[in-house]
Amino acid sequence: MSVVQKNTSESSKWYLPGILGGLVITGRHLAVNLLDNMMGKKKMITVNYPEEKYEYSPRFKGNHVLTVKKDGSLRCTACMLCATNCPAECITIVAAEHEDPRVEKYPIKYEIDILRCVFCGFCEEACPVDAVRMGPEWQTPGVNGANFHYGIEHLAYRPQLKGGILSHVDDEERNKAGI
Amino acid sequence: MLKCTINGQEVEVKEGTTVIEAMYGKGGNWEHGKVAHYCWHPGLSIAGVCRLCMVEIEGNPRLQIACNTVVTEGMKVNNTSAKVRDAAKWGLDFHLINHPLDCPICDQAGECGLQDQYMEFGKYDPEMAEKKVKKHKVVDLGPTVVLDTERCILCSRCVRFTDEVSKTEELGIFNRGDRSEIGTVDGKRLDNKYSLNTVDICPVGALTSKDFRFRQRVWYLKDAETICNGCSTGCSIKTYFNKEGFFRVKPVYNAEVNSHWMCDDGRDLYKFVNRDTRYLKAKKKAANGWDELLPGAAAKEAAATLKAAGDAVAVVFTGQYSVEEYEAAFAAFANDLKVKKFFHWNNSEGHENDFDGLLVRGDKNPNTQGLQQVAGRHGGLGKWSDFAASAKNGQIKAVIVAGPENLKFYHDFADKVAVISQVQNIVWLQSAKHVALEDLKNNAWIIPMKSYVEKDGTFINAKGMAQKFKRVTTIVSEALNLSEAAELLSGKQMMIKPEINAFVENSRPTDRVMLENRKKNEFVFRRGSL
Repeated sequence: MSVVQKNTSESSKWYLPGILGGLVITGRHLAVNLLDNMMGKKKMITVNYPEEKYEYSPRFKGNHVLTVKKDGSLRCTACMLCATNCPAECITIVAAEHEDPRVEKYPIKYEIDILRCVFCGFCEEACPVDAVRMGPEWQTPGVNGANFHYGIEHLAYRPQLKGGILSHVDDEERNKAGI
Repeated sequence: MLKCTINGQEVEVKEGTTVIEAMYGKGGNWEHGKVAHYCWHPGLSIAGVCRLCMVEIEGNPRLQIACNTVVTEGMKVNNTSAKVRDAAKWGLDFHLINHPLDCPICDQAGECGLQDQYMEFGKYDPEMAEKKVKKHKVVDLGPTVVLDTERCILCSRCVRFTDEVSKTEELGIFNRGDRSEIGTVDGKRLDNKYSLNTVDICPVGALTSKDFRFRQRVWYLKDAETICNGCSTGCSIKTYFNKEGFFRVKPVYNAEVNSHWMCDDGRDLYKFVNRDTRYLKAKKKAANGWDELLPGAAAKEAAATLKAAGDAVAVVFTGQYSVEEYEAAFAAFANDLKVKKFFHWNNSEGHENDFDGLLVRGDKNPNTQGLQQVAGRHGGLGKWSDFAASAKNGQIKAVIVAGPENLKFYHDFADKVAVISQVQNIVWLQSAKHVALEDLKNNAWIIPMKSYVEKDGTFINAKGMAQKFKRVTTIVSEALNLSEAAELLSGKQMMIKPEINAFVENSRPTDRVMLENRKKNEFVFRRGSL
């Protein structure tokens, strides 16, 4: 490493004007931004995090949601295509026979190990009946002993979902259409 | 013998062979080209209803169905031309017009004829604009089978099966045109000993097994062939399993034993090998209840008691173990333990020679023949009545019971346990749990055994055919097989022979530097310490 002595002029030793000049620029931005925000002309880029939350695009892949039918029961038919497609093997499904012959097969257990999940969205792609979706929530907090194996109760009927998200695919409509 | 040409290959076949049989070949692996087909099945008569197995025959202006055309001398057959592929493709389109495409909830998905043929011969854009005809779903056909008439493509395999093989004639095709569906005559149920074969031969998911329904997707299952141990017929079977256990059993073609079929009872035989029905640890009777210990340790402990009993030891065999195990057990008990009393516990006494004409036999043990042959070489087996008498009058001080693994056909198991419990010391070798054994008051050991899917061996069936089978998987790894248990019980140490892998051994290059030499190599050693 070599040390090079710069040829410094006398005037450059006067650093105070430079600092003051910089402060003026900062102050001007502060004043303008504050005034603009108070007048409602312009929005600040940062968010007050815990109170305000950033809105993600509808394509965001957050925590899973199981959709429901019009009668409020699970849309999922327990075909296990999501579990087959899952690269992290975090989906466990146990299927059973439904009393209603129009439903035939339904899951009695649908569990996602959210800590194993890599949020790739393959489950959503594999689903033939729009039963599993990746929702907008991304925060997965939990204190010691929290359950990160989300079951049907959490995936389909957690309070945030307000009674469940309706699936796009409806059996009766498909039946009427002759599919 | 006739000579014909199939897809350019010269083939010689017997007179009366159909084109599809010639293409299927003797080995059954489509030696001379694959043909799309549904209704044809090598074990059933010809129906010619699916119209998919079209082939081009030289000199014939139109395509012919391969399943109902008999080979003639010098016939030139071709099924690879564009014309044939086109015919199969649009034939498939007709089959799929009313098919509901509910593959996600269909148990057949993954091994479905429609899926396979579509990927091989179909791949068209459907041009059907009409609504699908809706039929009945989830029809309860009988105790074992569920029918979905929408999925059915009316190949009539199941109808022909009940007519020709089981000869019970329950099924038929009702109505006409696109409303026709499979069903049973008013009030009759599909209830026969072979009903689940209809599920096997159904090329689509129209007939599904109640037992297997929705329990696993088929692509999660591995399969392996073995021999059924349900009766002395010894059908060739394929078991389907994964890490959660066994899920189903299907027959495998075996011309000399079971052809393409097996009975419904045999399909339940995967149940007693799963972990929840098995003894996982050995048990030893203690002052209050049972102590658990490892099977090998229990056998060694029991060996001391057996030795103390001296002459008054008896061995009771059931016909559920392999020939190799019987050989080892007789050798160990007779030579090392000096046992003279061997008895046969026969659960089907008086029914040994029952036979229903197709598969099911009265002798509900896979290897009674093998047991008797081996025992014959070692002085024969005593009868159960003799054992009961000598147990009662106290001639026997200790007994070793090689118990049955398949308890389904041992209806009087508890009664037999009561007879055996008159003996003071009992060493019970058993794989399947039973309540009667838990209630034993004697000085008893229960030692877990391996089931028939966990060992290699040979069964000799009622016809005297020796059939070898291979290990499928391991479920209870600590369990012993009968030869190991016999060796330990007769006081010997069990030597675990290291398996020498001939292939690895031979493929090792001669100049390979072994680990020991590498450690001595100073250069490598120093570099490792950097």
